[in-house]
Amino acid sequence: MSKIIHYSALCKTVHGQLLLDIDSLEIHEQACVALSGRNGAGKSTLMRIIAGLEVPDSVTVIFDGQAMPWRRACQRMRTHVIYLHQNPYLFDRSVTDNIAYGLRHQKLSIKDISRKVAEALDWAGISHLQMRNARELSGGERQRVAFARARILSPRVLLLDEPMTNMDSEAREQTYRMIKRLKDDGVSILLATHEFHTVAHLCDTHLSLESGSLRPRSIDSAGGERKIIPCG
Amino acid sequence: MDSLSASTAESFRLLFSGDAALWVIIFTSFSVSVRAILIAAPLAFVVAFLMAHLRYRGRRTMIAGFSALQSIPAVVVGLTVYLVFSRSGPLGDLQLLFTHSSMIIGQILLSFPLLVALSHAAFQAADRRVWETSVTLGAKPYHAFMTLLHEIRFGLIAALLAGFGRIIAEVGCSMMVGGNILGYTRNIPTAIALETTKGEFAQAIALGMVLLALALLLNGLLAFFQGRGEMSS
Repeated sequence: MSKIIHYSALCKTVHGQLLLDIDSLEIHEQACVALSGRNGAGKSTLMRIIAGLEVPDSVTVIFDGQAMPWRRACQRMRTHVIYLHQNPYLFDRSVTDNIAYGLRHQKLSIKDISRKVAEALDWAGISHLQMRNARELSGGERQRVAFARARILSPRVLLLDEPMTNMDSEAREQTYRMIKRLKDDGVSILLATHEFHTVAHLCDTHLSLESGSLRPRSIDSAGGERKIIPCG
Repeated sequence: MDSLSASTAESFRLLFSGDAALWVIIFTSFSVSVRAILIAAPLAFVVAFLMAHLRYRGRRTMIAGFSALQSIPAVVVGLTVYLVFSRSGPLGDLQLLFTHSSMIIGQILLSFPLLVALSHAAFQAADRRVWETSVTLGAKPYHAFMTLLHEIRFGLIAALLAGFGRIIAEVGCSMMVGGNILGYTRNIPTAIALETTKGEFAQAIALGMVLLALALLLNGLLAFFQGRGEMSS
């Protein structure tokens, strides 16, 4: 698997305290990485930095083997990386308009946009909701709209910030299936969670964020944690 | 009492018979105030957005400043514009005094702080995820800004209505910089003031009814949009 992005010497201070001090973080093609850590460990902040939504104090970024300054890396990340909030925000408009949102900022014909949106609606199993206002949907349905809206843009990296929080078992299963299908489509996934065991079966790698540092952990075939592998 | 009844009856006749002089005054009021609000609002929204989203030195002072400027008396704004555009003033050569342009400038200055303060509150209350979601889905800053405007549109409409309400009914500034010229710069509030001093109550009452109806309409719309804004956040 080739490397998409490599961050090194990533530091971020929040309210005068060092929140992130990461030596190295690599995101590979078609990999599904679980990022665990207790609440407040900095998982969301790290993901937002990776998505280019938050500026780190210092970082070195290598994108597709090319070292680049933060500002340029940010532009690349916004093209190839999509971040989904813990509770994805859906715009106050129809499901179709929400899913088409990203495509409307690309130079595509209305016909192409309609075709892609129809495919995305079908992929997420929400064709019957297409004319509904996205704000009126249930939690599980909103999650499916958010996934379809991200997938339609064919991102190389998808950052999922605790996507299963506050979900019932049925919605959770649906989300698992969508993550699996995205992975099968070749999208690299970084999945933040504070309950690693719930997503272990989806992930190839497990990183734990502790005291600002990333520690690799191994995962056994049953999906449970086995041991901590020392850094370096 | 008879005189008041007669004046009221005459005011209804003026309103509903399409009295040209009366409707020119009403048209002038709306024309000037609508243009003022359309010029002031876009700039006010951008300033409010920058105040809500950027962190810079003096930001709090700026917010407090705009809040304080909301209560500046209309006559003080009128006096300032008058001094600037009077013959001996720094922009006297433009000869804008006693024209629609000077009235519009005065009303822009009056409504701007209110528009900034109210739209700033709407931007501050906006969900941070709106901007982030737009950006992560590939929107350029301009498009993300337009999306944000759409998401908080009820709050912004409420700001627009409040700003419009402030300038459509102000008398001090319009009187000083417009000059109350019949058929040109005479608007509803200045006409009411003048007709009342002349003892010609019919036209004053008719115009007062227009203002009153407008005030009720604006307040109704304001309550409606503020309610919608709360629900959408």
